[in-house]
Amino acid sequence: MTEKQGISLGEAQGGPWNRIRRTLARRTEGRALALLIIVVIVTAIMEPIAFTAYEVTLGSIALIGLVALGLTAVILMGELDLAVASTLALAGVVMASIDDLALGIVTALVVGLLIGVVNAFFVVVVGINSFIATLGMLFFLRGAAFVLSGEEPVRLSDIDAGIAFGKPLIGGLTPRMLLFILAFLALQVFVTRVRAGREFYAVGGNRQAAYDAGIPVRRRIFTGFMISGFVAALAGIINTLERTAADPTAGSTVLLASFAAAIIGGVLLTGGRGSVFGTLLGAASLGILQVALTLSGVQVDVQNIVIGSVLFIAVITDPNSLRSVLGSARSFFRGRSRASPT
Amino acid sequence: MSKRFLRLASLLAVSMLILAACGDGDSSDTTTGGDAEPAATAAPSDGGETFEIFALLPQGNDQPYGTTYLPPFEAKAAELGLNVTITNSQYDADKQASECEVAVAANPDLIILWPAVGDTVRPCLEAANAAGIPVTVTNSDLNPEDQELSAAYSGPDTYGQGVASAEIFCELAGGEDVGIIMVNGLTGNSTAIDREAGFEDTVNEQCPNVTILARQPGNWNKDESQIAASEMITAVGAENIGGAYAADDTMVAGVIDAFKAQGIDPADLIITSIGNTFLGNPLVVSGELDGTVFQSSSWDGENAAVVAHQVLSESPSERIVLFMPSVPVTADNADDPSVAPEW
Repeated sequence: MTEKQGISLGEAQGGPWNRIRRTLARRTEGRALALLIIVVIVTAIMEPIAFTAYEVTLGSIALIGLVALGLTAVILMGELDLAVASTLALAGVVMASIDDLALGIVTALVVGLLIGVVNAFFVVVVGINSFIATLGMLFFLRGAAFVLSGEEPVRLSDIDAGIAFGKPLIGGLTPRMLLFILAFLALQVFVTRVRAGREFYAVGGNRQAAYDAGIPVRRRIFTGFMISGFVAALAGIINTLERTAADPTAGSTVLLASFAAAIIGGVLLTGGRGSVFGTLLGAASLGILQVALTLSGVQVDVQNIVIGSVLFIAVITDPNSLRSVLGSARSFFRGRSRASPT
Repeated sequence: MSKRFLRLASLLAVSMLILAACGDGDSSDTTTGGDAEPAATAAPSDGGETFEIFALLPQGNDQPYGTTYLPPFEAKAAELGLNVTITNSQYDADKQASECEVAVAANPDLIILWPAVGDTVRPCLEAANAAGIPVTVTNSDLNPEDQELSAAYSGPDTYGQGVASAEIFCELAGGEDVGIIMVNGLTGNSTAIDREAGFEDTVNEQCPNVTILARQPGNWNKDESQIAASEMITAVGAENIGGAYAADDTMVAGVIDAFKAQGIDPADLIITSIGNTFLGNPLVVSGELDGTVFQSSSWDGENAAVVAHQVLSESPSERIVLFMPSVPVTADNADDPSVAPEW
């Protein structure tokens, strides 16, 4: 409704330039897109192999992006899920511990959903802040993964099936990439076309208003955490299949990379703004960057500096942050000019 | 607007599929090596052939061992004409798998692999083999069933190190009944598993009078080890403990501090570990640590390059295995220059 009003107002007021400007201001993916273009150009010049070996780059994007997609559903509602990496590890261990591969996959996915339900229960019913609730789950699930695995990696009963899973299925696309694309399309459709998904924005934007408007806020939060848990479990299953073993220590770099992808993609941590498409762009920037830096032989410390800088740029170029920085700078200089003896 | 973005997203997905279909597999043709800029460019000192290699390591300058492993590795690689691109997965198996995919795509002459998690590297080895890229292993060997996919291993005999540490322990224990606590390395790490098995098997075999009362991981970290040791001392009772084993010197320093914090003199106990590091060697000299096993990071790094070069230049039909000597270090030889700590 708000969107339609904005468009009609814009069309009445100005030409195409104003329309573009207003669209860019309204969309949150602009910075992510600009960043992706820069990353693509620089990589194409410095490390073109990252594109000729596109399947490797797509694999890297999918590795970072899948968990980030699920996480986006939670962040859009202004909540956090710090347990995604532990969910990934536990789901992998659960799957590998069951000899029947199909049964293992189904069980692991159910475990992911249940973890989402428990997270949401603590947040919605008990009323614990999602940061604290999922931080507790992070430790609990990691411990559970260690206990269940006997503190050792669990090898798949059918290693050949795992190796086959890692092979390209269509062209150079492996099942991981195809599942990533499917997950992206499903979530994109859900948050843009399905009423329940669209209500995520309302829940994150103004929770009281969402309650007042009759939106079932609690149910939406349950749905968001279940999506996050399910997608993290899916990522754990994919990782376990591709590596032919479940590692209880898995996912150590997943949590921060997923948050980084969502933030770079313009998803607001306080909720209400952002998109699944933005997260895809953020994951693409990080994935390409990671492949290019690895090919360049750049030390991991320097890689962290580069990725940290990208994240920092993404945050400070947020229009709200820029406005706040400009406001602070203005008051600082105003204060100095008043204090000056001249 | 959402409809427009949905269309754009679908277009992106479809274009990815089309791009993939056009590429149709054979990446080796399009991804010839040489595009990757090596971390260290080299010309062999004897004017011989140069090779492009990737070294997939789980640590680098972020860990004491890696810090002293890398310079001799890079120096020897440069001397032998190996242009090395080095990665550091920080013990994340998924990250190392992704780095392996990048390495295979760059089509180097050889890949040196230090497995982050031994059980998860088979797909990487198979991909390298399928691309005709030989793989040599450094520091932590592969599982027996995966070893046929690699051309060589150089590094410590991690099981043998556990054995050597246990042998020191058994000798000091004599025939007395001794209850001990055990602090192991990072859970799931192959070095941690091998050392634990080597120590336990040897104790069971050579001195069954030594009983492991409790065990916990210390994650190669002094603080975590100290906490783990404190918990175990409280749980089993200080009066029942006659000794301790830690899988490396960093962790044994934490164990010793835990004993001191509870008013127990570590010199009264039998304590052994592995490493002979800058942290462990002085503890041996002071008598707080009864024995450790020398692990030379410079030997490890240097021989990773030597063995890689040997595989490239000789193409041996049999798998090369080059074990680092497991030299026991006790108060008798701790000052000997031949076992001077390196890390």
